[in-house]
Amino acid sequence: MTMDATLAGHLQELRRGTVVVASLTVLRTPGYGYSLLESLSQAGFEVEANTLYPLLRRLETQGLLTSSWNTDEARPRKFYTTTEQGDALASALRDEWARLDRAINDLDDHAAMGGNS
Amino acid sequence: MTTLIDRYVFTVLRRVPERQRPDIERELRASIADAVDSRVDGGEPEAAAIEATLVELGDPDKLADGYADRPQYLIGPDMFPVWRRLMTLFFTTVLPIVAVVAVVVKVLDGATFGTVIGAAISAAITTAAHLAFWTTGIFALLERTGVNRGGLPMRHTWALADLPRYEAGFQTLGQFAANLVWPVLLIVALVLQQFTFFDVPVLDPAGWSFWWPYLIAVLLLECAYAVWLFRRGAWSHTVTAVNAVLAVLSAAPMIWLLSTEQFFNPAFLGSLGWGTDPLNWLTWTVIASVALTAIFDVADTAIRAERTRRGLPHPSPGHHTVGVH
Repeated sequence: MTMDATLAGHLQELRRGTVVVASLTVLRTPGYGYSLLESLSQAGFEVEANTLYPLLRRLETQGLLTSSWNTDEARPRKFYTTTEQGDALASALRDEWARLDRAINDLDDHAAMGGNS
Repeated sequence: MTTLIDRYVFTVLRRVPERQRPDIERELRASIADAVDSRVDGGEPEAAAIEATLVELGDPDKLADGYADRPQYLIGPDMFPVWRRLMTLFFTTVLPIVAVVAVVVKVLDGATFGTVIGAAISAAITTAAHLAFWTTGIFALLERTGVNRGGLPMRHTWALADLPRYEAGFQTLGQFAANLVWPVLLIVALVLQQFTFFDVPVLDPAGWSFWWPYLIAVLLLECAYAVWLFRRGAWSHTVTAVNAVLAVLSAAPMIWLLSTEQFFNPAFLGSLGWGTDPLNWLTWTVIASVALTAIFDVADTAIRAERTRRGLPHPSPGHHTVGVH
């Protein structure tokens, strides 16, 4: 395996799960599949449509999202909204993300200081 | 005329559970249309926009797997080592036995060297295909019914007390799978001997009116017994009794059929051209092995149950008693 492929594999491992936090956070204001895809890619999340669309349905079955069809416009769209439960879960996940970030930085600082002394 | 988008959407829906189809179709079409519109707004011609959108969505079968939320493997990493061990065991023990039996039968038949080799190879290939197919099938079934990590669904959460004592010598997942696979293979063999192995059925076709279906039913009970035993998680006198009843239910009719010459197909025995003496010899060998297997099985289970009751250690494969000095 080349270095690039190794890196790509580890990056994928690291990013797995971040799409869930991001989607639940964005969908606090109702949105449909393609709009969410756009928002996420603008925010810097590399997510593919074929992962996102099935994921939305999975989150809905888990009760983290609700959906309703909006037929007011010419093109009917399925709008998803984060539920109270989904919001609580996203908040817990964000806390964990922040905690991990601090922990990783601490480790890095320790290593740097250990190297200097 | 079906458009490219229609073809893509239909291909996805084909592999999605039926009751989800209308909703997924509606949503997927809207998502595709949104993506196409956005590309057209960016200045792409419509046909190119459609192609690019669908290519970006990727393999429709993969998308369908995502929607259906199903595992994309037949046997997962938990079951794979057990499956591989069992397959290796079958291929290194059963296959050579089948090949040797095929050779012996043909040699006794007075066949030429070429026919003997041909018979051995074709018997080995047929048997290998069946061993692989049925074993893999059962493992795929176990995988999909949720029998993986930690065996069958547990009644309680794992605790230290659940650690094997290495005294009780209870079943591993591999032994359980073997207990399940053997009866299935015997049922397959029982059905196939009617059509495939030789020109005429090996067993008396008259048996299909009652005794062969009866044996299949008993073998299915053996499968149920294997599941029950594994879930139960311990040997006991109840297990001894159930096992003994099953052993008698299968062995007794077979011995009776053999001794009254209703077991083998007379046409098959005639085709072997062994005369009457070898027939007696064959009958008594089979009777002896059926009886000995049954007695060994009953005794083995009874001894395990009794040792468990008394709290005595079991000799178990791969386990060496650590000496205390």
